[in-house]
Amino acid sequence: MSATMTRGGALTGTGILLGLALRRDRIKLPAWTLIIALFVPYFATVAARTNPTPEALRRTMDMMDVPMLRLFTGPSYGTGDLTVQRYLIAVYFVEFLLGAALMNILLIARHTRAEEQSGRAELIRAAVVGRHAPLTAALLLSVITTAVLAGLMTVTAIGAGLPAGSALLFAVATAATGLVFAGVTAVSVQLTEHARAAAGIAGGVLGVVWVIRGAGAVQDTEGGGLTWLSPLGWSQLTRVLADERWWPLGLSAALTAVLVTAAYALAARRDLGAGVVATRSGPASAPGWLRSPAALSLRLQRSSILWWSGSLVAGGLVFGALAGSMRDGLATDFLDAGPDVLSGYLSLMVVGMSFIVGIFAILAVTRLRTEEVRGRIAPLLTTPTSRWAWLGSSLLVTAAAAVTLLALSGLALGAGAALSLGDGGYVGELTGAVLARAPEILLLLAITLALYGFAPRAVAVAWAVLAYGGFVRFWATDLPAALKALSLFDHIPRMPIEGFTPTPLVTLTVLAAGVTLLGLYGFRRRDLDG
Amino acid sequence: MTPAIETSGLVKTFGPVRALDGLDLSVGSGEIHGFLGPNGAGKSTTIRILLGLMRATAGRATLLGGDPWSDATALHRRLAYVPGDVELWPNLTGGEAIDLLGRLRGGIDAGRRDELIAAFQLNPTKKGRTYSKGNRQKVALVAAFASDVELLILDEPTSGLDPLMEAVFQEIVAGLKDAGRTVLLSSHILAQVEKLADRVSIIRQGRIVQAGTLAELRHLTRTIVEAETAAPVTGLPALPGVHDATASGARVRFSVDAEHLDAAVKHLGAFGIRALTSHPPTLEELMLRHYGNERHYGNEGHYGDGAAA
Repeated sequence: MSATMTRGGALTGTGILLGLALRRDRIKLPAWTLIIALFVPYFATVAARTNPTPEALRRTMDMMDVPMLRLFTGPSYGTGDLTVQRYLIAVYFVEFLLGAALMNILLIARHTRAEEQSGRAELIRAAVVGRHAPLTAALLLSVITTAVLAGLMTVTAIGAGLPAGSALLFAVATAATGLVFAGVTAVSVQLTEHARAAAGIAGGVLGVVWVIRGAGAVQDTEGGGLTWLSPLGWSQLTRVLADERWWPLGLSAALTAVLVTAAYALAARRDLGAGVVATRSGPASAPGWLRSPAALSLRLQRSSILWWSGSLVAGGLVFGALAGSMRDGLATDFLDAGPDVLSGYLSLMVVGMSFIVGIFAILAVTRLRTEEVRGRIAPLLTTPTSRWAWLGSSLLVTAAAAVTLLALSGLALGAGAALSLGDGGYVGELTGAVLARAPEILLLLAITLALYGFAPRAVAVAWAVLAYGGFVRFWATDLPAALKALSLFDHIPRMPIEGFTPTPLVTLTVLAAGVTLLGLYGFRRRDLDG
Repeated sequence: MTPAIETSGLVKTFGPVRALDGLDLSVGSGEIHGFLGPNGAGKSTTIRILLGLMRATAGRATLLGGDPWSDATALHRRLAYVPGDVELWPNLTGGEAIDLLGRLRGGIDAGRRDELIAAFQLNPTKKGRTYSKGNRQKVALVAAFASDVELLILDEPTSGLDPLMEAVFQEIVAGLKDAGRTVLLSSHILAQVEKLADRVSIIRQGRIVQAGTLAELRHLTRTIVEAETAAPVTGLPALPGVHDATASGARVRFSVDAEHLDAAVKHLGAFGIRALTSHPPTLEELMLRHYGNERHYGNEGHYGDGAAA
């Protein structure tokens, strides 16, 4: 074979593959870019509406300038001479960076590893298509999509009142983060054989650099040394609407180039369908304890439970540790906490933890649905395992895991608070406060299960139950009592700011038991899918 | 002997679709029963009702003397099932899945398990998601064959297996027959059914259109006759029951209904028979008579196997 043939070959077919990718994502990508871009005027409008006067805007901004909230928004610039536009950039920039990063993570994983995993890439690569064509097409798709996003955001940012130059810098800085994560994902899809794991690795990287950026913002309002270690930070360090500068984006471009080069190098070293990290073989026979539906359920959920535990413990420690900066920081009305700011903050964190465990509970039931549709429970139910036994034991494992997660996050939150406040009493108090919320999670779990039992296609409705609870809890505290009562999450007292009362706990637990029985009954009488 | 499986007037509708339309199936105890039909005829729906995974819209089904829906758990102690498209838990190894299914069925014979794994040349240490289609099928087959049950319900169990493994499968099923087990074998590999089945039921559009032993079914259909005669044969197409007669010189080929075979051969005798071959219709030909004008089987790769048998 001649050298020219080899060289031309590696990218042959890229154009056609790019066309195919554009065709496949013709709805998805316009939707992603448009929705992200439309959040610019949306956030600007929200900021202007909720802060009708410059004084109100000033007050809100001052309230947000505490380490705990800078962790989520910062760093921020030029807020001394505050405008709605500067407020927009100071508070919401990170959300746009996350949006652009997520879009690119999912895009690259979908068009590279997911194709290999499904076997479609084999069909493609057997045609006249070069070795590097699929990755190149995916990266080009990411560049095109991100450029479109930057264009749209420039327009919407100008619409929201930014000067054209600042709007462009804001949009390009967002795009730069997006492309860094296209690069991160281009590497992670080479490592594992599974698209979901690859996206998970990239998402994990995103989480880590988010925290590093935030930690830098906690160090200093305008970003401390740590901010310089995060690609998200680089985009923010362009100081949009303050003394603007483009050069930090050079760091993003350089990192993207390094990552893409690494991705091609790794891709050249591996076989189609294989990962750089080889799949290990496992035991030839099952351990002795794997002999019941409950044991299987635990085995299948094991790694998920461990991940959740780790994340909740880490989150709990961080949020608990921030309690120390709360005493002198946050305005009282922001947390709806009355005079006791610290208790208000801690009770808010307690409620937040229980919502996160609620996500775990819903996902666990959604997984049962996946097991069913994929045809993995028919083999179990054609053994002497009854439907009651299978669903009941899956439910028990999930319920026990949810309560354990609550306990762990309460312990972590309490430990963090105890360390930062120097009062060991918080450990017990906050663990109790989070555990007291278990009945609402159990009821949420029961409702999800009942949906699964009676209307398996509608399991997703459970998300609406959780979202409504969050909406009432965090944003619509002025709703009429009857509407508030509909939320599962508005009955158990918010400790430590409110005192303990046992009645709602008992009521919700009894309700949960009843709805669970109903769900089991529903599952017993319906046809199995898949 | 009481039948192992008996359904009468079984109906299952999915919205406007009538998947089963009065299905009468009878499987005797201790027999290997072939369950044949094109894709979408209702084979898997029937099996899912027999397993209590679905409830029939109307009609009655009896399995090992019990009701497949309400006695599901008790009945499942006595049966094993292999689906046509096995899905495994992605992060459990094949060996773990075999053990788990065996234990849930009330225990697994470890010696037999290892024998079967060796016979099927299965690597039990791979994770579920890394198995190919054929290997996933082997996992389910080993789990089913390693448990000591009266009835095996196999829904196109060997799809994706290579011919060598197909032979292993046939050997094991033949062994089950000797041990007095009942097997319901849904398949469209006709050679497999011809080799193994005592009786056959043919399903089409949710109904059983033909049932009986292979001999009985063949009796209903035509025998193929080829002959070489001293003088050219004349008058053959005019005979009752003779079809598709073709002649080239001294050779003729035709098919004839079973009850007219005698007359046709006597007719040939008058022209001086030099060579004569006749063979009963293969199952393939039987199926073609039922579906011939629909060409359902035209797409099936396995079809050629039937012709070769």
